[in-house]
Amino acid sequence: MDRFEKEKALALAQLRARDFWSALALIAVALFFLWKTSGLSLGVHSGAGVSSAGWYTSAAVVPFGIFGALLVLALVLLGISIRSGGAGQALSAIGLGWKPKEARRIGAIGLILLSYIVGLVPRVDFILGSALLITALICGFHSREGRGALVPVLALCLAGGFALLVYPNQADWAQSGDDWLTLALLIALTVWHQGTGGRDRALRLTPVLALGLPFILICAMAFGFRQNVPNRGGLIFSKIEYTYYVHLRPLWRS
Amino acid sequence: MEFLFGQMLGFAVAFADLVADPWTYVYLISSVFLGIVFGALPGLTATLAVTILTGFFGNKIPLDYALIALLGAYVGAIYGGSYPSILLNIPGTAASAATAMDGHPLAKQGRGAEALGLTTTASFIGTLVGTVALLIFVWVLLLISKNIASPEKALLALFGILLSGTLMSEDLAIKGWIAGLVGLALAMVGMDPILSEARYTFGWSYLLSGIAVVPVLMGAFAVPQIIDGLRHVDVGKMVELKGRILPNLASIRRYLPIIGRSGVIGTGVGALPGVGEDVAGWVSYGVGKTVSAEGDKFGKGSLEGLLCSETANNACIGGALIPLLVLGIPGSPPAAALMGAFKINNVIPGPTIDPAIILRVVAIMVLASFTMFIMGLFTARVFIKILRVPQTVFLPLVMVLTTIGSFSVGGGLNDLYLMLGIGAVAYLMNLLKYPIAPLVIGVILGGMFDETFRRTLLLSDGDLLAFVSRPGAAILVTLNVALILGQMPIVKRALTRMKGRTV
Repeated sequence: MDRFEKEKALALAQLRARDFWSALALIAVALFFLWKTSGLSLGVHSGAGVSSAGWYTSAAVVPFGIFGALLVLALVLLGISIRSGGAGQALSAIGLGWKPKEARRIGAIGLILLSYIVGLVPRVDFILGSALLITALICGFHSREGRGALVPVLALCLAGGFALLVYPNQADWAQSGDDWLTLALLIALTVWHQGTGGRDRALRLTPVLALGLPFILICAMAFGFRQNVPNRGGLIFSKIEYTYYVHLRPLWRS
Repeated sequence: MEFLFGQMLGFAVAFADLVADPWTYVYLISSVFLGIVFGALPGLTATLAVTILTGFFGNKIPLDYALIALLGAYVGAIYGGSYPSILLNIPGTAASAATAMDGHPLAKQGRGAEALGLTTTASFIGTLVGTVALLIFVWVLLLISKNIASPEKALLALFGILLSGTLMSEDLAIKGWIAGLVGLALAMVGMDPILSEARYTFGWSYLLSGIAVVPVLMGAFAVPQIIDGLRHVDVGKMVELKGRILPNLASIRRYLPIIGRSGVIGTGVGALPGVGEDVAGWVSYGVGKTVSAEGDKFGKGSLEGLLCSETANNACIGGALIPLLVLGIPGSPPAAALMGAFKINNVIPGPTIDPAIILRVVAIMVLASFTMFIMGLFTARVFIKILRVPQTVFLPLVMVLTTIGSFSVGGGLNDLYLMLGIGAVAYLMNLLKYPIAPLVIGVILGGMFDETFRRTLLLSDGDLLAFVSRPGAAILVTLNVALILGQMPIVKRALTRMKGRTV
């Protein structure tokens, strides 16, 4: 067996071992939702001014079919995995093994995206939050292979965590404390990136891209398409909106 | 004949309307350019281009203009994937994987410019072949589809999900079906369409209106791409382009039969529900290798091989729009994103679609393919420069685009949380080799399946024979059963034995 075939066989063994775990997870999900579906009425039912004709119009019929089929297919997948030796290797390094470097990379991206979507987007000025995200991702994953993602992750988690913990309620989202902290972290991260990053065009362009793209996007959405945008009371956007409606728009409206 | 003239007249009117409107050019040029850029950048896909633009234009501008932007990006992105395939040996999109087999060896032989020129022409002709097929067959099928009732609709939706699961799965077909079922399960969330009973909302009022399509599209296609793409990739050395990109007429004339054949194959594959441009490219490449006199040269720098895949993947676009417009079943993953745009504009593709929309789609496709052709021939060097932008720089920008696009569609922050959740699930599914397209198609078709399945039972007083009592439904039941049985090892073995006996 040559090297290529060996690698292929190992990848298949790993896939079947992981199929074992995914089949178990799917069985659990299917059983849970079958139980949830059993809470829906399957017989003649009246609700919201509408009466069902019988079991066949029940809201539970199709979900029962879907989760039943999912259970059957998950059992078949489990069978395939067991027959291919996946169950035997499920608890070995093949089934559970993670490359530490890859796990760190995915973990870092996951934390950054979670902090951005859950912490920053609702509470912090969109331009500042997105600039911090762009800077952190370029800084952590462009030409810093395997090192340097820790600082950007910390910066994003600090900004997102602060916003989430200090301003948890929607009534507080317009306050600017988290905006100032995000701005400070953005400046610090940019300085650190410019000082330690690989010397290329991407390094020089990072601050321009980080601030320019969110600025263009939010202005296009808010004033071009007249759409709702995240956190209108943000530090920078509130000033832009004020300037647009008070100083600029009257110029062509009059 | 009268029918054909009527069609041509309708198309001519729609085309004239489109050409006379100056806004057409603003949307068309920018979207085709953006599409080619998305296709050319390895790590971004045609589906992502259409998905992101759906978030941006889906409900913010009139549907007429939104269609220009989305179709322009679709056509541009499928073509754009050929640039890195030829010059870097990295397919820009899955649809261009077969293109790299011959495109890169040709570029290494110093024939990169010739390959790009012919690819541009073949993509242009391929798109036109698919569009003509769309113009003709969509009406024929629409006439047939007038007889389609609830049982056929339910079975067609199931067939689309099963077929997409079978053909899009890299590993076992069963994984594709599981992905489709997960999509269907997601579509069950919210108020049910007949009795308005809340299902699986877990007390979250946002879920009462069901799972929104755009966050699912963004989560399923954009987030895994971003997570997976944020790593250092050595793009290798780009092959230098020598000579002129403009193709000569003699070559085009010589290869016209191959382009025509590949166009027909691409359109046919595209018309299959849920099967994308990548399958079209490979099927056409495989057929070309079998029937061509220079089949042994395929993979070593054959122009025929290059044209087989590149024509087919662009012809697939028109094909993919046929089931979308006639039956409301997306023919490919980017068409699923297009379906999302229709849905957020309250347009229901299917037998009741406004014929004016179909004619406009055809007119846009023709104009988009012309725009792509001109841009491909005269601004190719701009796109070649874009190839040098590393994905670790543009993917963070895509994340911001995805966020604001998803936020502004209507659901606000809840849509973003949903997008992130679906993205995490889709990334895990990618790791475990579950295809994502059937999941998205399941979400899109789930509502229709639920409603039509239960309506059939309601009209027949719960008699399951209603699903086989009509000829169309009986055929569809047979197809669904055959599709499932065809993947069973025991049936596969029996078929192989039978084949052996006949040979």
